[in-house]
Amino acid sequence: MSDALKQSLDLSMFWEYRAILLQGLIFNALVFLCAASVALSVGLGAALLRINRFWPMRWIGTLHVEVFRNAPDYIMLVWVHFVLPLLIGMVIRRRVEFHPFVSAVIALGFVYSGYFAEAFRAGIQAIPQGNLDAGRAFGMSERLILWRITLPQVVRRMLPEALNLFISMFKATTIVSLIAVPDLMYNVSMVIQQEMRPLPLYTGAAITYFLIILLLSSGVRVFSERWRRKILA
Amino acid sequence: MGNWERLVWNQRDVLLAGLSVTVEVCAIAFVAAVVGGLVLCLIRLYVAPLRPLAILLIEFFRDTPIFVQLMWVAYVWPEIFGFPNTFFNAGWLALGLQSSGYLAETFRAGIEAVPRGQRDAAFSAGMSQPQTFTRIVMPQVLLASAPSIVNQFTVIVKSSTLISVITVPDLMSQSQKLVNVWYEPIEILTATAAIYIAFVFLISLTGKLLADRLRRRYGLAAS
Amino acid sequence: MNDVPRIRIADIHKSFGPLEVLRGVSFDVHRGSVVSVVGASGSGKSTLLRCVNHLEPPDSGEIFIEGESLGSRVDERGQRRPRSLAEINAMRRELGVVFQQFNLWPHMTVLGNVIEAPIRVRKMPRKDAIAYGEECLRRVKMIDKANEYPARLSGGQQQRAAIARALAMRPKAMLFDEATSSLDPELTDEVLGVMRELAADGTTMIVVTHEMGFAREVSDRVIFLHQGVIEEEGAPADIFDAPKSERLRQFLSKYRK
Repeated sequence: MSDALKQSLDLSMFWEYRAILLQGLIFNALVFLCAASVALSVGLGAALLRINRFWPMRWIGTLHVEVFRNAPDYIMLVWVHFVLPLLIGMVIRRRVEFHPFVSAVIALGFVYSGYFAEAFRAGIQAIPQGNLDAGRAFGMSERLILWRITLPQVVRRMLPEALNLFISMFKATTIVSLIAVPDLMYNVSMVIQQEMRPLPLYTGAAITYFLIILLLSSGVRVFSERWRRKILA
Repeated sequence: MGNWERLVWNQRDVLLAGLSVTVEVCAIAFVAAVVGGLVLCLIRLYVAPLRPLAILLIEFFRDTPIFVQLMWVAYVWPEIFGFPNTFFNAGWLALGLQSSGYLAETFRAGIEAVPRGQRDAAFSAGMSQPQTFTRIVMPQVLLASAPSIVNQFTVIVKSSTLISVITVPDLMSQSQKLVNVWYEPIEILTATAAIYIAFVFLISLTGKLLADRLRRRYGLAAS
Repeated sequence: MNDVPRIRIADIHKSFGPLEVLRGVSFDVHRGSVVSVVGASGSGKSTLLRCVNHLEPPDSGEIFIEGESLGSRVDERGQRRPRSLAEINAMRRELGVVFQQFNLWPHMTVLGNVIEAPIRVRKMPRKDAIAYGEECLRRVKMIDKANEYPARLSGGQQQRAAIARALAMRPKAMLFDEATSSLDPELTDEVLGVMRELAADGTTMIVVTHEMGFAREVSDRVIFLHQGVIEEEGAPADIFDAPKSERLRQFLSKYRK
């Protein structure tokens, strides 16, 4: 038993391949950044739909949120990569294929847009009605009120929650290896196929992610403490 | 569409078999998560010498992405610990460990949120520490965190899709099997996605109703 | 003397569901005059004020600002049509509103609050907005708090800042919706003092208030609202010293100390 333990903790193999593995990590970061942009914009759109005046709009927004919040990341990833191109292909009568990176960004972006939509909506509804009344009394258009009064306050209130969602999202990018996006886990599996030594590599990957996420979430925790005190002063 | 009937309805046995495996794994993982979370939480709060270890484990299980944990538990642990011996066990173990980290923190927050007066009243009535904990504190903690606990179950169900990667015959892997056989992914994958979404939606709905019920009955601030 | 009243309120009706809150209210406010609206809770005072700038659109009746209807207009073919929201917003610029809850925007400084609408709605250049905004702040004696955030100010200071914010739009009239009701008694005076000065300067004002002393000293006319209709109206001396209706007498007796 201790031989295996020694093997897994012998991270020299992990260190040896660090260049490739680091490249993989950068892919995780890239997928994260693109998917996060999608999640934020689509999420904001869905949140605004949910509080729209017309009930069909509200219904669409709610549908969007419920579908994507409750969908497992992996099944969404597989569906976007294998089914969506076929559906689009049927409509435009040509063969369509998605690059895995694109599928990953769309799938993760839309899944997390559901979570962001809820966070935005809660933030928007928490703005006191009086703020909006004052805006209207001054003749501000609804659009102006949204951008100058509502959203700045929503961002302030929801920043800690948003940061936590970002961290979750970054963790979720590990599954993109399953549709052959060359991220860290994908490169790890490639190396394992070559070297036939899974123990140190999986252990190394776990420790790497652990340290990164630990750093990020500790930072967010400290920041959120100070932020909440500042905002709710 | 005739395809739906042929590909999905006629294969429902295969899919249902997968779904039952999914439910099984998730149920065991959930129990493991609650028990593990409780143990970690109690050690962290009350067993001073082991506190750093508990904190480390909690952070580790929470911060490591589930996919990475899954591969690690499935391929590395058997070599070192001899357990888990099957991929099925690796599945629920990894899912349970990850959620136990979250639940440990949920429980800790809940315990610290119980007003001091509650304990004061119990001690004044002559109750011992363990009695106070099991009869006064923990019930309140569990009631107040019920929604979070239910939410963690949805997280487990959503993450369980990954155990197909370590060849556990869950719903996800059954549907992929069908796709490989029939080469027609649209209906099968869409149906699979719909089943998962519906399943998770029902669990969340139950959680919400539960939270409302509890709030009305006990007036507790359910998170 | 301008014949057209600054504000004409014509036969306003407003219901919320089955509850009819305003049942036909009409009066004029002439340029430079101060009209106080008093009445018990539930008499419809606040609703009336909110109808004046269409924060709550009246069910029937009209509001005229210097002869122009706020809610409708005559189009090219001579037909009367309701105004679009954009047009109503444009007309709202002419009315400054001070709310009971102040409603300062918490994520902007006092000066930020004051210049926001002039810049965004009146499209004033930033420098001009700041200059005039600071003048308004000086008028309410809040200039030294220009760079503070609302959360750090007392209630009286916040309300004075809110008054400056309304003034910065150079409105044709100011509407005060129970401006001192949320303030502790010590802070009420500083705000009433500002309102008194504004009246003395010739500002056209509609003041919904509980402060009878203020209403009596500062108003040109007092309107007593009861259950959605004007029960009695007239000069302050008549209303307070020689009330004609029984309800007004009852109402005033609660304020005799």
